[in-house]
Amino acid sequence: MSLSSTSSRVFRFASKKGISSPLLQVGRNISTTTSATHHEELDVVIVGGGPAGLALASALGASQAVRESLRITLVEASDLSKVRDWDPHASAFSNRVSSLTNNSRHFLKDVGAWDHVEVSRTSPVEEMQVWDGISDARITFSASELDPEPTMNPGETRQMARLTENLNLQRALLRHIATLSEVRLLDNVKVHLIQQEEREGGGGWPLVHLSDGRVLRTRLLVGADGFNSPVRSYAGISSYGWAYDTQAVVATLSHAPRSAFQAPNTVKYQRFLPTGPIAFLPLSPTVSSLVWSTKPALAAALVKSDPMILTSMINAAFRLPEVSMRHLHRFILETGASLTPIQIQEEITWRERSHDIDRHSAYASATSDVVAAGIPSHDSDMLPPLVASIQPGTVASFPLRFNHADAYIGEGEGSRTVLVGDAAHTIHPLAGQGLNMGLGDVESLARCIQEAVLQGGDIGSHTALSPYAQERYFENHKIMSAVDKLHKLYSSTLEPVVWARSVGLEVLNEFDFVKAAIMMNAGAYSVRGNPAADATGWAMAAKGVEGLATGAATAKIVGQGIVGMVGIGVQNLLRTMGTPNQQK
Amino acid sequence: MNPVRMQFVREKVLEITREEHGEEAVKGGNPLQGLDILDVGCGGGLLSESLARLGAHTVGIDASESNIAIASSHASADPRLSADSSRPSSKGSLVYRHISAEEILKEQKRFDVVCSMEVLEHVDNPAGFISSCAELLKPGGHLFLSTIARTPLSYVLTILVAEHILRKVTPGTHTHSKYINPSELISFFSKYRSPSDEEGMSWITRTYEHGLPMRTEAEVRGMVYIPWKGQWMLTPRGASGWGTTHCNYLFWVRKP
Repeated sequence: MSLSSTSSRVFRFASKKGISSPLLQVGRNISTTTSATHHEELDVVIVGGGPAGLALASALGASQAVRESLRITLVEASDLSKVRDWDPHASAFSNRVSSLTNNSRHFLKDVGAWDHVEVSRTSPVEEMQVWDGISDARITFSASELDPEPTMNPGETRQMARLTENLNLQRALLRHIATLSEVRLLDNVKVHLIQQEEREGGGGWPLVHLSDGRVLRTRLLVGADGFNSPVRSYAGISSYGWAYDTQAVVATLSHAPRSAFQAPNTVKYQRFLPTGPIAFLPLSPTVSSLVWSTKPALAAALVKSDPMILTSMINAAFRLPEVSMRHLHRFILETGASLTPIQIQEEITWRERSHDIDRHSAYASATSDVVAAGIPSHDSDMLPPLVASIQPGTVASFPLRFNHADAYIGEGEGSRTVLVGDAAHTIHPLAGQGLNMGLGDVESLARCIQEAVLQGGDIGSHTALSPYAQERYFENHKIMSAVDKLHKLYSSTLEPVVWARSVGLEVLNEFDFVKAAIMMNAGAYSVRGNPAADATGWAMAAKGVEGLATGAATAKIVGQGIVGMVGIGVQNLLRTMGTPNQQK
Repeated sequence: MNPVRMQFVREKVLEITREEHGEEAVKGGNPLQGLDILDVGCGGGLLSESLARLGAHTVGIDASESNIAIASSHASADPRLSADSSRPSSKGSLVYRHISAEEILKEQKRFDVVCSMEVLEHVDNPAGFISSCAELLKPGGHLFLSTIARTPLSYVLTILVAEHILRKVTPGTHTHSKYINPSELISFFSKYRSPSDEEGMSWITRTYEHGLPMRTEAEVRGMVYIPWKGQWMLTPRGASGWGTTHCNYLFWVRKP
């Protein structure tokens, strides 16, 4: 019987249930043949070499007590040397970018991995501008509203987050792990099968069969293996979620530098269109990254189109009124492949004229008469710089989904398993929290494992792991449902909803203390490891939202439902205000 | 409850070792490495396994043969606990024996640390049992006990709630009159002299107000369950407020 039939599938060896299927037969055969062969005895096997898996290996290896007492192996199916040898030109940027919160960065710094990040390829976010695609109601966050204290180094600018290419981070983690001889990386090796070792009275440990024939017997199996997590299926943990009717288009954008009269290119811009948010993430003075969540058909058309068409559409999407964007979308879908850059340019020009957009305004793109060297228009800081071109080969799209595992720790026949990162949760990228949540998981799990090691505990046991689940499950759930509600709130074009959410946003923009509280929660402040400060942030945010609800009531908004929805949406917009994050 | 017990054992041995041999004496913050430890009433072996993982040469004994079988079977799954471990840094070892404290006392072997967790409240002759445990120690050795205080609170929590309301414990497991208070252990060791050394010092030479012993001679710490965390916590040193040492507590005393 061939193993290839199960190469991509992993299942639990369910001998007790007496189920007989061809797959299970394969499992039985393997167990009888391998029971005689040699098992490699390990303490931690991490499946998946993405940012979360690598960060966990990095964090465990950084603790002396852990690396001296545990044998740690990370298994990755792809070739990690591609990441290790990644060395692009200084002006070329990868299209997968994440906004690392200050908390995430502090954690990486503590572990010793941040020192290996090529910091010149990262960019601080010093300000964020978020506005409603229909009403133009706007909220601005500035890092200068933060305490002077939270910067990491005295010379560093105050920032809310730091945009970092995922490859830059992964390469840094690999470099850090290379300094830890105790942590072993196995790449180019697939996990063929995971089964529970047969023991009298149960309690067998996981056996991980690799494509090179090795069998790893491990005390703890960590699933850092992404959304379709084989470890999660082995653990028998189901998950809850759905696919959004949305695709994210990503690309690396080139543009002229900001002039001396403007703020530097460290502002993140995000416009909530009913089709989904479009975000502009600064990477360098002349390069920025795009994350445009939109309907699948439109995303497909944009990805396939001429880069000049996409360039025009991006510029328009930040500027044109929503009604014109709707027409442009229809225009692209109807014209199809025959559309030329000139046609779309003409269409945008016509729309700008009919909306009476001044040629000297930053809101003009096709008709723009703004000279880079001259005095910028009065509203130029309200919008990102005009995109000049798209770096070749950087346009891509991927589907968005919401998914949360029912548990983070396996029990019963799937015991000695734990999930981190996307294996545990997948989230809409609009608030840029995906990778940060994963790093939060890793930090918590590494701490949990270290504590168990110091007390002589069995790190695979439920007792040792339960603090991790307690610390992370609800925390992640809050962020996830907040981002999900926000996505739904801003997908609406219903007039009362738009009005209510706009009033909410504008009112909130006036409350500095709420914004500060929210930023604190978004990890802009350094409150890591200080639950008291974290709780304060929440209390303040709650108070602010109370104020907002009252304000909205005096504005005679009919229907408490909408008020509540706005309250939740805005509260959560604020607390998850990071930047879209293009991690898988 | 095990992480808290381990925390107490580790921290107390660390504290005393550092006090006597200086800060540099303990490598990597692990004071149990290489010590001979006896776990009296090891049950399923939770504590014994943890001690062995931290590098102690551990002997777990229990009067119940089935407990020893369960503990041995559980430990056999863990390569770190088997004798032929190839890992150089794991110097610990683990042996289980079906024998009572009184019988093992007849052998010559003495230990650096003797632990007996959640056993005292089930023993018919506590004074005799504690004496046996005490005599199994080398001079300067550490005795760790954990048990339940005889208070109205402990009646409510360990008998009324645990046995009769939640039924987490088989009714009849505990007998309230067998519970022993911290002050009784302190007064026992204030008078106690080893049978082999009748002229020697008592184990606790003096106590402060509130009956608290010197921290280098003996210590009482409460263990409190925090329901919303689902975890046990060690109450702070010297805390004697209501609820701290009025139910589950740990006791440490040192052989002079």
